[in-house]
Amino acid sequence: MVVYSGKAKDVIEVDEDSVKIVFRDSISAFDGIKKEEITDKGKINCLISTKLFEILNDYGFETHFIKKLTDTELMCKRVEILPVEVVCRNYSAGSLCKRYGLNKGIEFDVPLIEFFVKDDELHDPLITSDVAIVLGMIEKKEAILLEAITRAVNETLRKIFESISLILVDFKLEFGKTSNGRIVIADEISADTMRLWEKESGEIKDKDRYRQNLGDVIIHYKDIQERLEQIKSLPPLHLKSSVRVIIKLKESVLDPAGEVTLRSLKRKEFKNIEDVRVGKSSFLLFSETPSFALQEKIEKISRDILSNPLIENHSYEIYFGSDKLQV
Amino acid sequence: MKIGVTKYPGTNNEQDVLRALSELNVKGILVKQYENKPLDDFDALIIAGGFSYGDYLRPGALAAQSPMMEELQHFVDSGRFVIGVCNGFQILCETKILPGVLTTNTSTKFISKWIYLKSENSNSPLLRNTNGKVLRLPIAHFDGRYYDKEKEIELLKSKNQVAFQYCDENGDITLESNPNGSVNNIAGITNSRGNVLGLMPHPERASFEYLGSKDGIQIFENLLEEIKC
Repeated sequence: MVVYSGKAKDVIEVDEDSVKIVFRDSISAFDGIKKEEITDKGKINCLISTKLFEILNDYGFETHFIKKLTDTELMCKRVEILPVEVVCRNYSAGSLCKRYGLNKGIEFDVPLIEFFVKDDELHDPLITSDVAIVLGMIEKKEAILLEAITRAVNETLRKIFESISLILVDFKLEFGKTSNGRIVIADEISADTMRLWEKESGEIKDKDRYRQNLGDVIIHYKDIQERLEQIKSLPPLHLKSSVRVIIKLKESVLDPAGEVTLRSLKRKEFKNIEDVRVGKSSFLLFSETPSFALQEKIEKISRDILSNPLIENHSYEIYFGSDKLQV
Repeated sequence: MKIGVTKYPGTNNEQDVLRALSELNVKGILVKQYENKPLDDFDALIIAGGFSYGDYLRPGALAAQSPMMEELQHFVDSGRFVIGVCNGFQILCETKILPGVLTTNTSTKFISKWIYLKSENSNSPLLRNTNGKVLRLPIAHFDGRYYDKEKEIELLKSKNQVAFQYCDENGDITLESNPNGSVNNIAGITNSRGNVLGLMPHPERASFEYLGSKDGIQIFENLLEEIKC
């Protein structure tokens, strides 16, 4: 049974927990205005996705990928796709240049993260995480996790492509929720969902060839796939996650430290101060990539050890890398 | 008779407890956290006070995560006796073996002084011969304010688990006699089975006349009596 049929893929139910994703030869751009069939395009993107998902799984990311069935079919976990997709940009290109009138190819010191609504009729508009949260598309906790995971994927794929002389300009990730609520990286990660430039010449290797009528789409896709196949061993990346945990006394619990502080502040010139609650924060560094599994671990640590739920509430934020701990 | 007395990095009451036990002609066995002695060897365990792991995070929170405490629930379920004094009480609450939590004194000060206590209606054999009496014991803590939700406190009362309440020298439970802001003047509680007692005041420091009071020794006598049975 076909669960979903997209512009370039079909999703077929296998059982309650898994689906088969079939890559077709169709290619389209500009929300389907421009479209055609390119022989072997489905196969090449399927092989690129397989390789990249295998790499991500190896580095400890949680993805929907289970295994490759045939050259055009993947066995994946069945997920509910989140309504927002995440784009990460290392260089300016595409819609970003159009939106802000930027030149192409400006390198960003800190990669940019953007959320977009998955909706062809609305032409996949940009959305701030605040709006996505208010509209109920994602939870705040999820927005933070999606950003952290995407940054970690960026770091990983950037290094991988660098090793085969390609520049990862930008890419898009889709996320899904499994039946037991785990957030995993889903959809495909292929030449259709990223921009890749030749390191030396800057030559375009991705779907922009099709968008901009540069021709030889399949030749360049195939070249990416062949170069990826040459990667035999993965470099150690030492991916890290940092976490800030905030512990606050519950409203119903008397906070003697807060009250004493309030009194002394009031004695000074700070007249309109009404309340002071003294909390605690902890900074944790993990030698693993941000993931739903890490979030579960942090939840347990925060609830069972860092706080006493009888009198304290906890909240946390997960970041990719160790920088946030140096604040 | 094997009575273990725990020693964690930062605790400082274990020698006092051993001294009180030796007054009753029992040689307690020091159980150091890092030795990983199996608790099963002991007839009873006394969790001595102090500042385990510097009371970092919350008093007793890190000791509650130690391997010894992971075994403790099983030890308690087997019906053996456990007494937690001061930091030991805080550890028992952090392990959830006793309900509630001990948090900062309302005065935000470390309080070291003699106080009066009363036990009423407790079924625990550890409190035998103390019912209705006013005991004089010292306290020495920064985080002794017992807290739990009202519903839970009602439950404690209805199951006669409130072991001790702070009172004045006449045995009246008053606001003024509450040194730290504990809910209902609670100074100590037991589990529902009565084989676990946690209390903030120090019975081991009130076990000798020359220290000013011998009111605390009764608790240790009760413990020895129970183990003999």
